[in-house]
Amino acid sequence: MLTKKITKGYKKWLIILFVSLLAAAAVVWYLFTLKYDDTATVKADYTVNAADFIKEFRQDMKAANTKYSEKIIVVNGTVSAIEAADTTMNIKMIDTAQNGAYIIFAFQQQHLAEAKAMKEGDKVSIKGSCSNGAFSNILETEYITFKRCAVNTEK
Amino acid sequence: MKKTILSLALVLATGLLFAQKKTTTSAIINFDATTSIDKLPKAENKTVIASLDTRTGKVAFEATVKSFTFSNPRIQDHFNNAGWMDSEKFPTASFTGSIVNLKDVKFDKDGVYSVSVKGELTMHGVTKPVETKAIVTVSGKSIKTAADFSVKLEDYGVNGPAIGAGKVAKEPSITVLAEFN
Repeated sequence: MLTKKITKGYKKWLIILFVSLLAAAAVVWYLFTLKYDDTATVKADYTVNAADFIKEFRQDMKAANTKYSEKIIVVNGTVSAIEAADTTMNIKMIDTAQNGAYIIFAFQQQHLAEAKAMKEGDKVSIKGSCSNGAFSNILETEYITFKRCAVNTEK
Repeated sequence: MKKTILSLALVLATGLLFAQKKTTTSAIINFDATTSIDKLPKAENKTVIASLDTRTGKVAFEATVKSFTFSNPRIQDHFNNAGWMDSEKFPTASFTGSIVNLKDVKFDKDGVYSVSVKGELTMHGVTKPVETKAIVTVSGKSIKTAADFSVKLEDYGVNGPAIGAGKVAKEPSITVLAEFN
């Protein structure tokens, strides 16, 4: 009778341990294989016009960074330059009326072809994760960088 | 008088023609802090500002810390948080320096040149001297530069628990690639 009770208790703890280990392994696996979503499918937090966006950063860099940093933003504007970066392409929107301040977009791997298809002067709508705005001592102007970008197809 | 004006104009025109500070806003920095037990701390920043003055040999770059992209969102969060790069407090990293053996590089002649670069790297609010070898490739109007070096995170005041646990390399390797046209 006593042996049966001990065996039952032992089995119960063994099952709890096994389930806990399984859960821990699942959490670790989830965390290690976590990937960013395709930006094209992520809902944007803000939609802005390039010139107004640059103006906002130039007027108050700290406030603009607090508002936009790490947010998904749709930027509507005109392509000023296309820069090759190794095997990738970056798209730039420069505001010559604002001291040459610019926004630069680095595209997600699966959306690189969209960047490569763009031409200077094209009116485009780009969605991406806003990294930060800063002042460049090299270029002596403000700039805002975006990562994980895609062409915006949302209306 | 006319001759003087003409000479001055020529000097000015020559100066403008050979104004040699080249810049790019699409330089790349690869950051690799992987270890044998963690292959995730690896990132790339493709929107780095870089400059090269072919006359003086001065080189510089500026990188926004939040522009480093990791494949894993959690690692990216760790990288930016206060325990590691603290990108809220220190939003940019920068380097200013010079090519030591500038006379060995012919920017007007196609070729691959080995150079030595000496300067100061500012990261996490700490500035330290850095010296590294680099390759300059001249091809027509294009100048490509590539440099590899490593930094001791501890020297820059970066001491997260992941470093102590061996999940992040104590001396990550950094690769800087820039193309000037």
